[in-house]
Amino acid sequence: MSTREPRPSPESSALISAHGLRKSYGRTEALRGASLELREGEILAVAGASGSGKSTLLHCLSGIVRPDEGVVTYGGEQLGLLPEGRLGELRRSDFGVVFQFGQLIPELTALDNVAMPLLLAGMRRGPAQQQAGEWLERFGVRGQAELRPGEMSGGQSQRVTLARALVTGPRVVFADEPTGALDTLAGEQVMTALVHTARESATAVLLITHDAQVAAYADREVVMSDGVLRSGSDDVVGQEAARREG
Amino acid sequence: MSTRHVLLGLLAAGPCHGYDLKRQYDARFPQARPLAYGQVYTTLQRLVRDGLAAVDGTDSDGGPERTLYRSTDEGSRELALWTDQITAPAPFVTNEIFAKVVVSILVAAAGAPTGPDGRKPDAAAHLRAQRAAHMERMRELTALKTAPGADLSTVLSADYALAHLDADVRWMTTTTARIDTLTAEVNAA
Amino acid sequence: MKADIRIAWILARGSERREWWRASLTLIGALLATGSALAAVTVAAVSGQVSLPYAHGLLDRPGERAGVVFTLVLLLVPVLGFLGQCARIGAVHRYRRMAGLRLAGASPGQVRRIAAAESAIACLAGSSAGLALFLGLLALTGHTPRPVAWAGLVAVVVAVPVAAALVSALALRHVVASPLEYARRTVPSAGRRAALGFLIAATSIALSALLLLFPVGRRVTPPVLLVLALVLLTGAGAIWVAGASSAFIGRTLTRRARRPAVLIAASRLAHDPWAAARTHAALLLVTVVAVGFVGVRAVLLDTLTDSARPMSLAFYTTGIDLAGSAVLVALAISTCALAVGTAESLATRRRGLAAQAAAGVPHRVLAEAVLLETALPLAPALLLAGLGGTVVYVGYAMIVVTASVPLLPLLVPVAVLVLCLLAAATSLPLLRRAVNPAELRFT
Repeated sequence: MSTREPRPSPESSALISAHGLRKSYGRTEALRGASLELREGEILAVAGASGSGKSTLLHCLSGIVRPDEGVVTYGGEQLGLLPEGRLGELRRSDFGVVFQFGQLIPELTALDNVAMPLLLAGMRRGPAQQQAGEWLERFGVRGQAELRPGEMSGGQSQRVTLARALVTGPRVVFADEPTGALDTLAGEQVMTALVHTARESATAVLLITHDAQVAAYADREVVMSDGVLRSGSDDVVGQEAARREG
Repeated sequence: MSTRHVLLGLLAAGPCHGYDLKRQYDARFPQARPLAYGQVYTTLQRLVRDGLAAVDGTDSDGGPERTLYRSTDEGSRELALWTDQITAPAPFVTNEIFAKVVVSILVAAAGAPTGPDGRKPDAAAHLRAQRAAHMERMRELTALKTAPGADLSTVLSADYALAHLDADVRWMTTTTARIDTLTAEVNAA
Repeated sequence: MKADIRIAWILARGSERREWWRASLTLIGALLATGSALAAVTVAAVSGQVSLPYAHGLLDRPGERAGVVFTLVLLLVPVLGFLGQCARIGAVHRYRRMAGLRLAGASPGQVRRIAAAESAIACLAGSSAGLALFLGLLALTGHTPRPVAWAGLVAVVVAVPVAAALVSALALRHVVASPLEYARRTVPSAGRRAALGFLIAATSIALSALLLLFPVGRRVTPPVLLVLALVLLTGAGAIWVAGASSAFIGRTLTRRARRPAVLIAASRLAHDPWAAARTHAALLLVTVVAVGFVGVRAVLLDTLTDSARPMSLAFYTTGIDLAGSAVLVALAISTCALAVGTAESLATRRRGLAAQAAAGVPHRVLAEAVLLETALPLAPALLLAGLGGTVVYVGYAMIVVTASVPLLPLLVPVAVLVLCLLAAATSLPLLRRAVNPAELRFT
């Protein structure tokens, strides 16, 4: 089903790395020197209170926004040096984005929405719809294929959004509070689907959330506060384990 | 909640009478069960026996109520070790974490000597480290419940633990945000 | 009543930029309407044969003056279309605000009064400005209207805001009645109703203009009535075609489209077919008139040059050119209305567009979709409008018994289509601003 084989992930290869990101919106300083690394195939949770700059971080890392200062590197290339057209291309082919609210085109059916990235890549309508249908099947929303976003439940439309983000086989998925508007069970379905597919195809995931139970789906966590990132201290846990044994 | 360590923490500020210790304990941990006098003295005696505390003198009246106790160097070291230790993440650990946070602040205020690895007790750092341990446990539980073929009882028990650990994490997050206010309040009392 | 006006003023002061756009554009529309009506009243007030040093003596005789008044009154039709588009700006927010007021405890009457005050204030400003400009013009030309005319002028200046208040109260009656629905969901598409309403208004204006041309007592010349009926009918037909073709083309292309831009445009057309009808109604009516006019002008000039009376040729040419400029003005106003409508549609969809761009849809595709959405329903509608206008001038050519039937007018619908695409393109910079990632922050 996926057009890519799972990529091998060497131990410390950083797929995306960011150093010293600074970004201000008007007088609000959203990022104050944030740095992080996302490895191949890794699921990273970025936790923190609302207003701590998590969404801005995601926008900078995915090339949606250019930071005022700092460097974002993807696969060796600096995003800041790429022209707008190439950035858009990256977002179509290499990145997938899932936000909290509807990014689906309200007038298109679920099937057409999921097929859209493929159409943009030049695929013909028929094969695009077929592939889209398979992805909808994977997320258990095949029955909603002919419905419009307004006619589905929140959980269903988020799963369609997920299918749309993953249909081109991206290397990184950026998810900004994907379950924010959903109840516990619907959220669980979405997260399980996301993590399962990501692991299958070795897709890296950057997951923004303020919910610890959602963050628990990730491999590791970093905490954002006031525009700066603090690691979740995996090293402290290791030290503690060593001390208990010693 | 480890009573002996809390008493050691209360002694960090200076020598105290037994009844004074009980009064402070009840004041700082209003939601906990009030400490019985008998328990206080038994614990103090055990602390003295273990060399973690010592009798600092007796008032003229004599009798156990009037004995002054103080913490020893050994006691300070034991306390630093205890506050530094991460509490094993399981449901209903919040009281313990709270105790450690409060005691850390007390010890820091009293300018107590540093712990075994030369680090000063830092409540905020402790909360961060505790959160990391909680998240690690939550990740294990989540992997457990999302494993293919997990039966419903596994999922349900994992969910239960996750919900309570989540509650702890939420509490820790807000407490971290309030740590400055808490420090001022603890030191003022 | 004072409290309601005060609330309306507070709402206006605290509103966002979009409301200021709406207020300014409404002001301009009211200004144009007032200007046109004031001019009509002034010219109509001139009685008998006079000798005015303007327009090559066109305003001298009552017959021609009636024609001028007729044209000025008909200019109100495209202005009405423009005002209709202005009213759409921020309509969603407006309905939600009114619903919120109702839910907070305002009585239906209060909400109606507040809404009326909001629109009346802008229109009053516009009509006052129009009056000021017109008085300036009068002072320049040194013409003093009769006292009867003054009453008419004042009536116009008052009538414009009053009409605006009534119309806005009418438009909001659903919101007032059931606020809960409107508090949350988007405004239901009332495209068909709005287009119909516009047609009725346009017909009323045309009929009242007709009454001015042929006051009670004189017999209405059949050809004029016929032409008017033909124009209105063809216009109505073209408007209907705009809506129906949106639905049909939308449905068909949604199934068959290969390119993403076509798919996006077609799905939007299929989703709300009558929006196109509402936006283009005035333009289509004006196109019918334009085609007919260009044809009649060509035939008329042919006939006149054949008869060869050079002195009066200037008289006729001036009259024709004046009418032509009126048509051009009408065309310009309708095109502006279309630009406003397109911009408003983009502004309402800002967040969705930003999300699309963030997900990687190229700006090129989004821009193409915007243009296609305008062009697809317009083409067949303009065809019908062109046909109607053609019937008019071919009929005239047959009456005058000319051999040569000009074909130039057939280019007019094509020119109008190009003009519309250009107008739609003016909102593309707004698209570029709309896909700003800052839009994504308000989750």
